[in-house]
Amino acid sequence: MDPILRRSSFYYMTTFVIFNGILGRFLGRDPWPAFEAIPLLMPVYLMSAVLFSEAGESYAFLRTLPVRDGRIVGTKFALIGLSTTLYWIGMMTIALGRMDEGVSSPSTLVYVTIVCAGGLLLASGLQLAIWSFGRAKVVGPAVVIGGLNLVLVIVHTASLRRTPDWPVFAHTWPIDWMGRMPWLSVPALTALAAIAAVWLMRVGVRVKEHSEAAL
Amino acid sequence: MDTMLEATGIGKRYEDFTLRDVSLGVRRGAITGVFGPNGAGKSTLIKVLACQVPAGAGTVRVFGLPCAGRDAAIRNRIGYVPQEPVFYMDKTVQWNTRFAAAYFAEWDGGEFYRLLDRFKVNPLKAVKHLSGGQKKLLALAMALSHRPDLLILDEPAAGLDVLHRRALLDRLRAFVADGDRAVVVASHITDGLDEIAEDVSFLHEGRVILHDDRDDLLSRWKWILYAEGARDPTVEDGLTDVRRQPYGNRGLTADFPAIRESIAPALASGDVRVENASLEDILIALVKEA
Repeated sequence: MDPILRRSSFYYMTTFVIFNGILGRFLGRDPWPAFEAIPLLMPVYLMSAVLFSEAGESYAFLRTLPVRDGRIVGTKFALIGLSTTLYWIGMMTIALGRMDEGVSSPSTLVYVTIVCAGGLLLASGLQLAIWSFGRAKVVGPAVVIGGLNLVLVIVHTASLRRTPDWPVFAHTWPIDWMGRMPWLSVPALTALAAIAAVWLMRVGVRVKEHSEAAL
Repeated sequence: MDTMLEATGIGKRYEDFTLRDVSLGVRRGAITGVFGPNGAGKSTLIKVLACQVPAGAGTVRVFGLPCAGRDAAIRNRIGYVPQEPVFYMDKTVQWNTRFAAAYFAEWDGGEFYRLLDRFKVNPLKAVKHLSGGQKKLLALAMALSHRPDLLILDEPAAGLDVLHRRALLDRLRAFVADGDRAVVVASHITDGLDEIAEDVSFLHEGRVILHDDRDDLLSRWKWILYAEGARDPTVEDGLTDVRRQPYGNRGLTADFPAIRESIAPALASGDVRVENASLEDILIALVKEA
């Protein structure tokens, strides 16, 4: 196994197990607001995994080895993509399994896909920012974004229970509309997210080759 | 001349420092020393030469290949020791070694552990617990163990005790002894690396102020010592870094063969003496002039 992949995957797997160990059971047990709130934590989860993995990364050491920047970028993006896919598959499986209970609906599938795509792009952007500006400069803004994400989840969850007519994200009109044809909209959204991530990865190779901030 | 590394018109700009129009050739079988005061640009130049960072201007060709786009292939044949050695600091020496060895086309594990043993570096220790000198020696052991054709070292003797410094110098001499490989070393002159450098580049404020063969340089640059009272006024002509001292004056000439005849009578009478200059003397004189 590639040493960079082996080292980084430890951090991604650890974050995945901790995060999903805590939150996954709510999806399988709790009523429908769980499907509103928990997917929204996906960007926090993925950004945490990126920051955790990058904390001990030594790009200056890698630069002394005969490793192409494209290989490093590909490995990091593969881990972000794989984590997103696992998280997405897990939530989609539970959502499909609980449709008969009325806890989830086709629009839930679209909503989960959109949030996962957002998380994927946010985490990819974070990775690019680390290569462009160095981890030290990026941690602060990333923590602020993660904090805002948490505040959104808390406010949204509390308001769903207490405020009548509070908007349900999974039932806003564009998501409901796409939810009428989940067999089309989910693959289309997934493809769009994948294309965007591949484009960001290509940008990442150029950034990694020219930036010295992470060295 | 069989050139292993050729840098032409290298420029690199940082916020507070600029490397300007540096050209340099590294001969196969030779040790090239890049010397200069602090902040001269030695580390920046070394990073560019080792394909660690891209040059802002100019080209670097190593083994005939351009750094740009071929850096990983080139790094397979370079042993590079940065000024501040970098590893996964929380991990052990052994862990870092396995990590690095997986990427090189060749890896001589026996040689690596022999070097660690010689350098007294414990492979089971976390790198963060090694001293600065030990980290340097670990980086050197790694750089040597993948059988590179070219060693590029930035201040390799910094932080080493005299015994390890001597071992380093011996090792570098042995590395180029077969005539197929080469070494580039950036250093302050005072660490003994000037003794083994065959080609010398002096760097000051981001520019190469002199690049020459060491023996030629030392044959041209000499101290001229003369007594105050018996002074021939023409002796001082062309001398730099003149130092007037109570027990006699001295000045440095950059072209001793050219003045040898004119001072011959004074030399014969004992009014003038000639002493060898060191690279340090030459660097100081050049920096003062610049």
